[in-house]
Amino acid sequence: MISVRNLTKSFTSGGGAGGTTGAGSRAGAGSRTGAFSLRRQPGAGTAPGSVVAVDDLSFEVAAGEVYGLLGPNGAGKTTTLRILATLLEADSGSATVAGHDVRTEPEAVRAAIGVVNGGMGLYDRLTGREILHYFGALYGMTPAAVEARIEVLDQLLQLGDTLPRRAGGFSTGMKQKVVIARAVIHDPPVIFFDEATSGLDIVARRNVIDFVQAYPTEQRCVVYSTHVMSEVEELCQRACIIYQGAKMAEGTIAEIVAAGEGRNLEDAFFRMVSRKSMAAEPVPA
Amino acid sequence: MRPSRIWQIAKKEIVSTLRDRRALLSNLVIPLLLLPVMMLGLPLLMGGLFERETVTVTDVGVVGVDNVPAALRAALEAQNVALVSVEDATAAVQADEVPVAIVVPPGFEADIAAGGDATVGVHAKTGNIRSELNVGKVQQAVSVYQQAVVAERLGRAGLDPSVLQPVTVEMVDASSAAERSSGQLSWLIPFFIAIWTLTGGQMTAIDATAGEKERGTLEVLLVAPVRRSEVVFGKFIATLTFGLTAALMAIVGYLLGGALMRSVFLPRLGDDATGMVSIMGGTFNASLGTIGLLLISALLLSSFVAAMLLSISLFARSFKEAQSYIAPLSFLFIIPVLVLQFKDLIGLGDGVYYIPVLNVLVYMDDVVRGAATVEHMAITWVTLIIATLILLAFANRNFTRENVIFRT
Repeated sequence: MISVRNLTKSFTSGGGAGGTTGAGSRAGAGSRTGAFSLRRQPGAGTAPGSVVAVDDLSFEVAAGEVYGLLGPNGAGKTTTLRILATLLEADSGSATVAGHDVRTEPEAVRAAIGVVNGGMGLYDRLTGREILHYFGALYGMTPAAVEARIEVLDQLLQLGDTLPRRAGGFSTGMKQKVVIARAVIHDPPVIFFDEATSGLDIVARRNVIDFVQAYPTEQRCVVYSTHVMSEVEELCQRACIIYQGAKMAEGTIAEIVAAGEGRNLEDAFFRMVSRKSMAAEPVPA
Repeated sequence: MRPSRIWQIAKKEIVSTLRDRRALLSNLVIPLLLLPVMMLGLPLLMGGLFERETVTVTDVGVVGVDNVPAALRAALEAQNVALVSVEDATAAVQADEVPVAIVVPPGFEADIAAGGDATVGVHAKTGNIRSELNVGKVQQAVSVYQQAVVAERLGRAGLDPSVLQPVTVEMVDASSAAERSSGQLSWLIPFFIAIWTLTGGQMTAIDATAGEKERGTLEVLLVAPVRRSEVVFGKFIATLTFGLTAALMAIVGYLLGGALMRSVFLPRLGDDATGMVSIMGGTFNASLGTIGLLLISALLLSSFVAAMLLSISLFARSFKEAQSYIAPLSFLFIIPVLVLQFKDLIGLGDGVYYIPVLNVLVYMDDVVRGAATVEHMAITWVTLIIATLILLAFANRNFTRENVIFRT
């Protein structure tokens, strides 16, 4: 359902548009977490002063699959999802989502996707029901169709109190329910979760994970982007580890753990990153 | 562009703003009340104070009270002045014992009677309204006394007092009825419309752009299958609605103030207050045609301001940052209004009608004064429409730029 081929995206330093919580601007200056550089510095063919956010990335997601994009903050996950959501344009490479090219058919792509991010932004002065009707109308749904869909989502997410109340008074958990309902109001075949459990308490986080597990069918898929290894282990059939914008490993969770020679996914991830860092380390003269 | 999508976006922004009490206050209540309060309250307050000071018997300090001739004393008392003896004129005024003090030197009456001249010293606080009002009373009394002395001297010489005024100046007000009724402060009307358009539209514009960025909802909106031009136009319509509403409220407030003034207050006011009302434009009686021209001009001005607000506030990362960008825009209106005040002296040419904002302010001032022409109307309106379209195209372009949309 999703095909990504050799995707590359650079930002000029300080002008980055990636990162769930504004990490792009930090990464634009070449941010580091511990010993690991998160963004690859520009190589040949890249404009001076620019930072490579996504570097020759390719992957496929099949129907019925929950596919994990795993990597530390600033690794390029959000930029990748924004390119797939047609919010950003790739410098090179191609991608199709639900059979539509992100470059040539952006409107068709947007109609086929839903996005849940960790920002949980809602309109404070609108009720949950009004928010869902607003987005339903933007997706071309009639008010009756939106109401019917709200009933289904109410069963699935227990929207309850969120529907008649204004979003300004929502708890974090209530917000996340409406954010998810908003993303799937039009029943999209593809849904992107981008650090969707960030800042959630244990109950709200469990609701998100349960929803993601239940969502894929033969006609649907989920791309689940996170830096939390345990969530990927629990949710994803396959995953792609992104580091410095490039693919470091891909496969089933067992395959990645084996490739990293780790005890679990997290251990395998750190071993792979350490090997990569050591390989990139200049040999002392 | 699909009208249904534009309307959905506009409707959401309108509902959201209507649920914000601060926005309602600044959009509806304040613009409606401010002009009537200024038009009625200020003249009533000032006129009332002036009249009270005129009719109240005020103590005036006198150094050398015994030197005051009887005729001058009578003239002063006729001006509701009571003479109080003081030692030091300046000290008495400074200590606020009296608002004004005069010094009448010894031999004052004898000098005058002998046909010579004499001096009355008047001590007052410059810039103090009460002090200056009482200086007026003293000057009036001295003038009456002086005329009597001159008449007496001329009589002794066998001359009629009219010999001093061989030429009479007769003033005729040549301004049109509209100019007279609009008052000397007619530029206030377009100024208020411009300012309220800016104030009324800014909450919606900021909330719909920088506010959406700050909340993280802009990205979600742009992920929906809605075109950028539809987003821009929807938000523009909402911003325009509130800018225009505030401007209309200001016009309604102005007309309401004028009507109230004519029907209720004017007959009860003294001459001073009536004069001030006229200066403030309180007797302005707008025809339907005038109101129509003002409304269309306000609509075009609001459109320009709404497009400008959207373009600017989209750059900001947050609500507060957008407010700091927009605050200096008030100068965009204040500077033309300063020009407008002195337009008679500056001598504005026809070129002024090609400058957006200044043109509509000058044109609306023309309309209020009954001096508008069709040619100036056409130039003003077409220029504003073109400028608005350029700003909307700029806003649309910004909605497609990664470094603007994701500038968080």
